[in-house]
Amino acid sequence: MGQSLDFEFIHENQCKRAVLLFHGMTGSPFEMKKMGRALFDADFDVYCYCLPGHGTSPINIKTVRWEDWYTDSTMHYRNLTQKYEEVYLGGLCMGGVLALAIAAEYREVRGIVSLSTTLFLDGWTIPWYNFFMPLGLHTILRYYYSFPEREPYGLKNEALRKKIAALQKRNTEALDNYPMSCIYELLKLSKFAQKNMFRVQAPVLLMHAKEDDLTSVKGSQFVYRNVGSNIRKYIELEDSYHLVVMDNEREFVFNTSIDFLNSLSDYAPADAKKLVSIGSEAADAY
Amino acid sequence: MHIDTVHIMKIVSLLPMSLKVIIVTNVLLILGFVVGKLALYKFENAVKFFAYYSVIICILFVLYFISIIWFSISNLFAGNAVYSAIFPIFLFLPFIIGHFASYEKVHFYTNIQILTLIISLLLALSFI
Repeated sequence: MGQSLDFEFIHENQCKRAVLLFHGMTGSPFEMKKMGRALFDADFDVYCYCLPGHGTSPINIKTVRWEDWYTDSTMHYRNLTQKYEEVYLGGLCMGGVLALAIAAEYREVRGIVSLSTTLFLDGWTIPWYNFFMPLGLHTILRYYYSFPEREPYGLKNEALRKKIAALQKRNTEALDNYPMSCIYELLKLSKFAQKNMFRVQAPVLLMHAKEDDLTSVKGSQFVYRNVGSNIRKYIELEDSYHLVVMDNEREFVFNTSIDFLNSLSDYAPADAKKLVSIGSEAADAY
Repeated sequence: MHIDTVHIMKIVSLLPMSLKVIIVTNVLLILGFVVGKLALYKFENAVKFFAYYSVIICILFVLYFISIIWFSISNLFAGNAVYSAIFPIFLFLPFIIGHFASYEKVHFYTNIQILTLIISLLLALSFI
């Protein structure tokens, strides 16, 4: 296992179930911190590591390949399966795609929470010249170009947006741009996940903001339609942008995730709410 | 050395438009990649600069590709099968280079890209 970075977090209480969380593209475990805390308070052990290429020098993210993310994440997952009876996966953005890709290979994943699943880059803040993207991605230009991250930085809550933007610059290792080489690798990971989506047998909870600024709801809808699991739930959020774990509806996101995971767990506290409508209510819509 | 500009203008006016566009875009792409290479080395964090720079290079690439296809098709109809067969190779080269490129060797692959553009320019000039 690689050296642990100070913003990575592990909440351990030696229980029998754990959640492995993955942060988003060019993000850091910082963005998953509140969700991790909420899950820990709900009696889950929680792990969130920094993905390869993230959290150190910005140059490292340009040298990383999607296989590095996938290999590193599966290694963490396999380590947790040695320690826990039940291991769940959760992720935001690219982290959600990674969780689904791992679940496609490892059938024993107990459940997945995929938030703002980024299979396509088609949100409303993507620049007007996005139609050149295929040309940029498949030529040497991908090492020159970076999408400058712009307002609203994935947050609908304006007060929080200002705070997070300042915090991101000072305390975290999140980048203020998306290198195209990184997008190239994300889209390759996305293709891999799309191809193997039918193999995912674990129950899936998808949550996506209707007004996601980076990736439209098409990604989550694709997962919902193509995933192999019988238990699947899809929720569209009305008052958030891309960073649903930090935005206006974060408490709803945390509570729904906890309820969903508890409904799947053999070790859920007796008073935990059991979900009865999994797989039916959203299935009619898509 | 005396440069006969009138004579040069006459030759240029006789060239097919597609060949003129190939030559102009080729020169601009070569200059663009040379500038990009130098800038990438010195101002790696100038995100906005590289965003617009990349868009300009993409536009030039599109013009370059269209002019190559245009030149090849017009030569095919004119019965110059060899001419029409040579240039389309340059349609694929940026993508082949892109496929093998890596960040660690970005300068090396940029040089290869510049070299292929120079060859393409020389080839275009040889048709004059």
